[in-house]
Amino acid sequence: MKQKAWTKFLRFYLPLGLFLLFLLFPFYWMFATTFKSDAELYNLKLNPFLIHHWSLVNLKHLFYQTPFLRWLWNTFFVAITSTLISLSTSLLAAYGIQRIRFKGSSMMGIGIFFCYLVPPTILFIPLATMVFKLHLWDSLWALSLIYPTFLIPFCTWLLMGYFNSIPKELEECAMMDGASRMWIFWRVIIPLSLPGILSAGIFAFTLSWNEYLYALTFISTSLKKTVSVGLVTELVRGDIYHWGPLMAGALFGSVPVALVYSFFVEYYVAGITGALKE
Amino acid sequence: MGEKEKREERGLSRRDFIKKSAVGLAGAGLATLSMDSLFQWNPALAANVSPPKFKLEKNPVINVLRWSGFVKSDEEVWNANTKKWEKETGGKVITEYLSWEDVRSKAAMEASVGAGHDIVLGWYDDPHLYPDKLVDVSDVATYLGKKYGGWYPVCEVYGKLYGTNKWIALPIGSAGICINYRVSWVKEVGYEKLPSDIEGFIKCCKKLKAKGHPTGFALGHAVGDANTWTHWWLWSFGGKAVEKDGKTIAINSKETIQALDAVRELYETMIEGVASWLDPHNNKAFLSGLISVTSNGNSIFYASRKRFPEINKDLMTMNFPVGPVGHPAELSMISQAFIFKHTQVPNAAKHYLTFMFEKPQYGKWESETWGYITQTLKDYYSLPAWKKDPRITPYRECVKRMLWNGYAGPLGPASAAAMSEYVIVDMFADVCVGGKSPKKAAADAEKKLRKFYH
Repeated sequence: MKQKAWTKFLRFYLPLGLFLLFLLFPFYWMFATTFKSDAELYNLKLNPFLIHHWSLVNLKHLFYQTPFLRWLWNTFFVAITSTLISLSTSLLAAYGIQRIRFKGSSMMGIGIFFCYLVPPTILFIPLATMVFKLHLWDSLWALSLIYPTFLIPFCTWLLMGYFNSIPKELEECAMMDGASRMWIFWRVIIPLSLPGILSAGIFAFTLSWNEYLYALTFISTSLKKTVSVGLVTELVRGDIYHWGPLMAGALFGSVPVALVYSFFVEYYVAGITGALKE
Repeated sequence: MGEKEKREERGLSRRDFIKKSAVGLAGAGLATLSMDSLFQWNPALAANVSPPKFKLEKNPVINVLRWSGFVKSDEEVWNANTKKWEKETGGKVITEYLSWEDVRSKAAMEASVGAGHDIVLGWYDDPHLYPDKLVDVSDVATYLGKKYGGWYPVCEVYGKLYGTNKWIALPIGSAGICINYRVSWVKEVGYEKLPSDIEGFIKCCKKLKAKGHPTGFALGHAVGDANTWTHWWLWSFGGKAVEKDGKTIAINSKETIQALDAVRELYETMIEGVASWLDPHNNKAFLSGLISVTSNGNSIFYASRKRFPEINKDLMTMNFPVGPVGHPAELSMISQAFIFKHTQVPNAAKHYLTFMFEKPQYGKWESETWGYITQTLKDYYSLPAWKKDPRITPYRECVKRMLWNGYAGPLGPASAAAMSEYVIVDMFADVCVGGKSPKKAAADAEKKLRKFYH
């Protein structure tokens, strides 16, 4: 019995513990740096893993000397709008490709996935031309409309896989009862695909939240910046990094994403692993 | 003020110039300089120089992209000066501050798209990457040069389109780099101050290391710190990346090998981990009391004034020591203001930049940034700001003592690529940390440079 417990510890708890340590350490480091003063941060005689004198000075700097809350709101707005646009488009695209089976649909599915593989650094110049021509430069809508260019391909691909796991017979039954294609889509497919939709949504939300290149390129005004760009602009000054406020910003900037994950983690796992049991 | 002192302030006497020319300091870029522009200073004339007339567009709005202030006061004074211009002209200026590395990519994108900001304060050879997209600012540059004692030679190389007299950018200032060191530790090893020649400098650094006070110079891909000190070291031994024709690769030379041999000695005095150092690391190490000597802008001085008073009391700065080549040969980060052709308000943009360069504005900017920005116009050498603290005084020499990246070739895509690929930095790191022989490292650097220069 004792040996069994040891085996479980060695095979399960120890690797899990090490994995958690590896995963959570950056968050702990952000937390610890947030509550240290500069004097403590630069005093290398002290144990860097502990907080010796708690200080709120970095939080004060972040919340009172930078428009951090505004950046948070901007990021939230962009993440939500781009996620909604991407999801609604991807749902229709994935359903069309997977179920209607028109000529060339499978090639289109592959093509959409290949779009996801094009690096943003190649796309940002042509996209910039479009943004300028549409007079969207320095507008949050530029990001809301640009992010779906990389979100839609992945979400479509993910949802195609998910739709594939839903038995066709369910739709055929509904059709025999006189349901239209749209009715089936709305009343049968969507409810059954909820885990897949949620995982695609979480994925889209997270990528939009963390995006840097397009946010840097298309937004100019400080009050319109997102968290990822705002923090770097305001708190990295030449070779002086304001580590305390930077870490505080990173910590508070990652809270919304962590919350989203914690609420929907089960759906997310089900969505990624594909499955609806037949 | 004596004639000698005046000459010193202007930075380049006729005799100095002849001397420097003889050793090839000016190289290819100086070939584009006219003697008139070098010696055009005339106090009587300066008083009467009239500014170029710019008919401002109606209700002009100028969008400016520039780097975030390295020191807080930079942005404050810049914004106050901008407000002053707005009040005088009725125009409006919208300034976007970005981290200094991001400015370059954003400006390049705007140049490519043909839309975006009107004025950019970029870095190094940015304007030479897209010269056809930029407004000719020769009128502004000529006026400022005449009024304020002329531009330093290296500024002409940076500001003018290669091989022409056309100014495509106005070098607005340099984030000068100097040696920063701990006075008490240097005294502890028997020196009053750090030696100003490389041989003596290495000896002193060895003694410091022996006493437990290592030095620290970035050997990672640090845009500012690593590029500047490695170029200084290479040039100080007479090495260079390319000949002035911009085609003949010159890196694999006996001077380079000599520089790499010597740097191994310096590396032995360094603290562990410099191979991964980026720009903030030497600041942190110095302020934490881990290293005795490093090269940096005045951010260590500025940060230590209030936050680390003990370090500040023991801090001294000096210009880079001179190597076997016998004259200063340094690299500092230089910022250039340029105007895109896609602007709707070219006249207002020129007027605004002229205004920002004028003494009431520029002088205040220099003063409040505590020497973070080294002047590019010779007259500003004598601003009282440089005497505010002896630790900032050496920074006023930086532009006077510097060469340009890609020396002795022209500025352009090749020099920019060589720098962004860290060819010189990696060559030094290969020898110090990577265990390569100087010959092999120089040969490898030559191969890399061939990709860019042809």
